[in-house]
Amino acid sequence: MMRSLFPAHVKKRLAPAGLAPQVRQILAHYHIETVCQNARCPNQSECFARGTATFMILGNICTRTCRFCAVRKGLPLPVNPNEPKALAEAARHLGLCHVVITSVTRDDLMLGGAPHFARCILALRRLHPSCTIEVLTPDFQGSVEALLTIVQAHPDVFNHNVETVPRLYPQIRPEAQYQRSLNLLRTVKELEPTIFTKSGIMVGLGETPDEVFAVLDDLRAHDCDFVTIGQYLAPSNAHHPVHRFAPPDEFTEYARYARQRGFRHVASGVFVRSSYHAEDALKDLVKNKLD
Amino acid sequence: MAYEVRLPNLGDEVTKATVQFWHLEEGDSAQEGDDLVEMATDKAVFNVPSPVNGMIKEIVADEGDTVEVGGLLAIIEEQT
Repeated sequence: MMRSLFPAHVKKRLAPAGLAPQVRQILAHYHIETVCQNARCPNQSECFARGTATFMILGNICTRTCRFCAVRKGLPLPVNPNEPKALAEAARHLGLCHVVITSVTRDDLMLGGAPHFARCILALRRLHPSCTIEVLTPDFQGSVEALLTIVQAHPDVFNHNVETVPRLYPQIRPEAQYQRSLNLLRTVKELEPTIFTKSGIMVGLGETPDEVFAVLDDLRAHDCDFVTIGQYLAPSNAHHPVHRFAPPDEFTEYARYARQRGFRHVASGVFVRSSYHAEDALKDLVKNKLD
Repeated sequence: MAYEVRLPNLGDEVTKATVQFWHLEEGDSAQEGDDLVEMATDKAVFNVPSPVNGMIKEIVADEGDTVEVGGLLAIIEEQT
């Protein structure tokens, strides 16, 4: 018998199809890429069944070689100029109340493709004005001009993931720099304090819990508002292997610590992903304000 | 009525999965929503719930078998 190495708490229960067929149809109709599909997200059937998806812009080929990520790597294609409008129409058609836009990293483009992010935000404001908007961006190689471009389009949430602890950057995110990613979050806050900043980290790549706590401290020291913490899963044998599966109470402990450190919203759990139930952070803030 | 349990869509880009473990055997009864079978993809392990109430008439995909999305996993004699 082939018992898997996955402990019971890392097994995903398949949800009934729900709205998933319609979501797939709408995405295909507007030629929209999602990170859900490109990253082989284990939550995809669940989120699609709820009628949500996370859009991925600037193509589906990434110019970086991160070892944890399933997105295709190589030489990217030219940017589709119709993407902002198609994305906004797809969001409206799906009836999304909170739209999350992420992208591949485009080190080949001027400002890393930041103007395209801004165009997508503006298209959403015009065609689907009722939604709140979250961008989950690459590091733009630390370009403040790129950040300014995005900040001027004023998304509600600016998300940039540190992904892992600084010690593991050379193996996991070889082209990225931990401090540069932290600075990005602080710069956005300085440029526009009304935009919520957000970051995320995966556990199970070989870090220690103390290193995770230190990252949470660093994020707060850079005025990060929201944080997500989830279990790393390897997309294939060619990717970085899962070093360990963190037990459920470890995620509870990270959440407790993060709240104590002053994050305004914390999501921590095995299947938590950067944009999993992303709408909850803003909903909770509104609710807490009313209470 | 015989109900065919097929491998649901596990997410695009994922075209097949391997049978890890059957929670139930042929002849067992299953309630709608009970975990039937554990399927593994490269990235994750999924439990496929029973879509109906009934008795497992035949397990078509054995442990270790690789099944395409839409492929037949088992036949359940539906009891209403």
